Amino acid sequence: MSTPIATLLDDETVSAVAAEVWSALVGADEVLVPGRGPVAEGRSAWVGVEGPWSGLVVLTCSTTATDDLTRAVLQLAPTEELEADDVDDVLRELANILGGNVKSLLPGPSTLGLPQTGTPPHPGSDVRPVGATWRGHPLTITVQGATEAPAQHPTTEVTS
Amino acid sequence: MRALVIDDSRAMRRIVGSILEGFGYQTRPAGHGREALDVLEESWIPDLACIDWNMPVMDGLQFVSAVRANPAWRQVTLMMVTTESEHGQIVRALAAGAHEYVIKPFTADAIADKLALLGLLPQGVPA
Repeated sequence: MSTPIATLLDDETVSAVAAEVWSALVGADEVLVPGRGPVAEGRSAWVGVEGPWSGLVVLTCSTTATDDLTRAVLQLAPTEELEADDVDDVLRELANILGGNVKSLLPGPSTLGLPQTGTPPHPGSDVRPVGATWRGHPLTITVQGATEAPAQHPTTEVTS
Repeated sequence: MRALVIDDSRAMRRIVGSILEGFGYQTRPAGHGREALDVLEESWIPDLACIDWNMPVMDGLQFVSAVRANPAWRQVTLMMVTTESEHGQIVRALAAGAHEYVIKPFTADAIADKLALLGLLPQGVPA
């Protein structure tokens, strides 16, 4: 079993990574405020890390937040209609970049999987959920260790 | 100048493409390495290819190796744009033939700085 994530990462580090990703991808003036969450219901995207520490980095946002995120990342006008593929794609890419940057803080060498959306594998006991708020929307970044049984992803869609 | 933007994320293709078009590039997107090779085989030869690492079908490292194996594509400058930030991965990409490496998340300024280093930032664009 790999080192528990709680001993490898603290909340502040995960929040700092997320803030940097938000600033670069969502917008330079977009502030991600640490705290709040968890998101009771919403959409999730995640990416797997395989190495000395193996697990997932999961981003979960409310449906309203994912729509607003998509508009912000793609710089769409409020009147432009959103495509479901774009919403999933933006969420996956955010999870991908969050995962890559979290991975860089963990023991290596390790590899990153392809990001997916859907219902993420249920976390075991090795889990660090970090809540944040963006434009009033709660969101959660969860770094969770691999469970004993290999994770199955029955409802997932790989980025195309 | 021409740039091929290779990423499995449509959002990232739009973001990178938009930055490059702002610098005066004509861009074409590709969703993975194989699709990008198809573009090259059409004889649409870019000055620059921006390449994600982790993609389905053909990943960025395989694409770099394929381009470097073909002398007809020698003039294409290859820049990895990826979340893979481990030193070992960067060394692998450069050893395979990539010229530069940009880690996501990035800013337009970071892309401009790299292009300036490569001599691929058009005149009049501030680095």
